[in-house]
Amino acid sequence: MSVKRNLLEVKNVTKKFGSLIAVNNASLHISENEILGLLGPNGSGKSTMLHAICGRNLPTSGEITLFDQEITMKNPTARAAAGMAIKFQLARIYLDKTVRENILISLQAKESFFKQIRSATLKKHEEKIRELATEFQLIDYLHLPAKQLSHGQQQWLEISMAVAVNPVLLLLDEPTAGMSPAERKETAVLIKKASQHAGILIVEHDLDFIKELCDRISVMHYGEIVASGTPQEIESNPKVREVYLTRV
Amino acid sequence: MSPVLIFAGNDYLTQIVTRILVYGILVLSVEMSWGQTGIFTFGQAALFGVGGYATGLIATKANITDIFILIGLALIIGIAIGMLISLFLFSGRRVGELYVALVTLALSYICERLANSWTFLGSGNGVPGIPYPSIFGHSLGSNIQVFYLVLVIFILLMLLCFYIVNSQFGLTMNAVRDDEERAEFFGYKRPRVQIFTFILCAALASIAGCLFAVSEGLVSPSMSGLALSTTTVLWVVLGGRGTLFGPLIAMAVLQIFNTEMQNVLPSLWPILIGIMLLLTMVFLPKGLSSIPNIIKSKREVKTL
Ligand SMILES: Nc1ncnc2c1ncn2[C@@H]1O[C@H](COP(=O)(O)OP(=O)(O)OP(=O)(O)O)[C@@H](O)[C@H]1O
Ligand SMILES: [Mg+2]
Repeated sequence: MSVKRNLLEVKNVTKKFGSLIAVNNASLHISENEILGLLGPNGSGKSTMLHAICGRNLPTSGEITLFDQEITMKNPTARAAAGMAIKFQLARIYLDKTVRENILISLQAKESFFKQIRSATLKKHEEKIRELATEFQLIDYLHLPAKQLSHGQQQWLEISMAVAVNPVLLLLDEPTAGMSPAERKETAVLIKKASQHAGILIVEHDLDFIKELCDRISVMHYGEIVASGTPQEIESNPKVREVYLTRV
Repeated sequence: MSPVLIFAGNDYLTQIVTRILVYGILVLSVEMSWGQTGIFTFGQAALFGVGGYATGLIATKANITDIFILIGLALIIGIAIGMLISLFLFSGRRVGELYVALVTLALSYICERLANSWTFLGSGNGVPGIPYPSIFGHSLGSNIQVFYLVLVIFILLMLLCFYIVNSQFGLTMNAVRDDEERAEFFGYKRPRVQIFTFILCAALASIAGCLFAVSEGLVSPSMSGLALSTTTVLWVVLGGRGTLFGPLIAMAVLQIFNTEMQNVLPSLWPILIGIMLLLTMVFLPKGLSSIPNIIKSKREVKTL
């Protein structure tokens, strides 16, 4: 196997909400350019895991490192600065802003106020916005408020906002929820493309979708990671069949 | 037509229009912080009062009338207080809108109490007898000249705000307003955006306070009080958050009515204002200026 740098390392993370243990002593890791799928039934703790990684919820215990730097308790801004970008399960975009403004919000986020007040980077970003919007089939809607987009288009917009900044780690919580099979296919292509310069964590329900796309898959059940391995290993794992596949 | 002709010989009218322009700068500061950035401030009158009192005291006690020095000193004090408050409010974890409202409301309360009870600040009488300001050693000797001064500064500040709101930074302000947590996930330094905006708005309010002092010739405790703070929010609510002109128009209309209504219905008028605030917040959360859009979208629904 080629030696790839370890990008993200989640070690023994536990997250409790009161007495509910949403994530229980879970570990996972992602190398550069690797796509890891996180599979599991409803309520198994996938989103909670993602939130611990992006800093939305701090874990109760455990350790998270990015490029060997500990980030367990860092705030979201610091994690974004370190190269993390996220698409939430329910698209969290700026509904009253246009598609163009949404992408610009992502692109300019780390720039100084004085550059922003002078609109110094607008020209440069305008090009990038058109490029992304073309890729994500939003070019005809650039000046439409995001709230007027279809559900699938909103997901695409949020993914495009995440990949816009060339993140080193991309977190995608159910990127294809509510999409047609054709749209899923296109999304898979776009995600594959993004993995050329990023490690990616995808949360999904649909094994068929992620087994094509992912290098490795981890399966969660009641907050625990019950299996990890290549898509083939996961598909033939009897434990996985028992806890997950039979339920679908 | 030159304002001189309109106001010809009418000092009263000149003063009303000047006051509208001064309040225009004040309402601009509320719109920039609450309307554009989502900082629900009930403390703009406090900063207005700080600017006013600083100017009044310096002008009367130190005999300084140069408008640039007066504005400069009011600015320094306003910015310093704005910095203290915003560092306290925003440098830590995210705090809720209501928390911000309560702290700034308390600030207004404290300022009004201080002005009322501290003899150095003139207690209940405030600071009267503030002289006309001067520019480059040339003294402005009449209300109409002060009007011109205020008009020029108002236009400059209005243009500044317009420029900022339409810049990339304006989008940053809105991103923080609409979802401050989301903005952090994109990498925005949310505390800095809020602190920067709050200080900018403190600067605007203290300039407005300074101009109030030199144009009215008097500052009194009520200029930093709860009533004015609430009224500034009402202007923005009525005019519509997120627009620069809506709140200005709402303020101007209310000011014109204000003087008349205070004579006609002295005790009922404040209650009417309160009811208006309530009704707009409930039925027209985006303000009166959103009515054309609502009618438009109703028509669109019909034609569908
Ligand atoms: N903020 C919260 N407060 C309390 N409980 C929570 C919170 N967030 C999640 N939970 C609970 O934690 C458990 C795991 O939730 P999570 O959203 O991580 O599941 P999931 O695997 O993403 O499910 P889904 O596939 O439905 O998105 C659930 O029982 C959920 O109710
Ligand atoms: Mg989930």
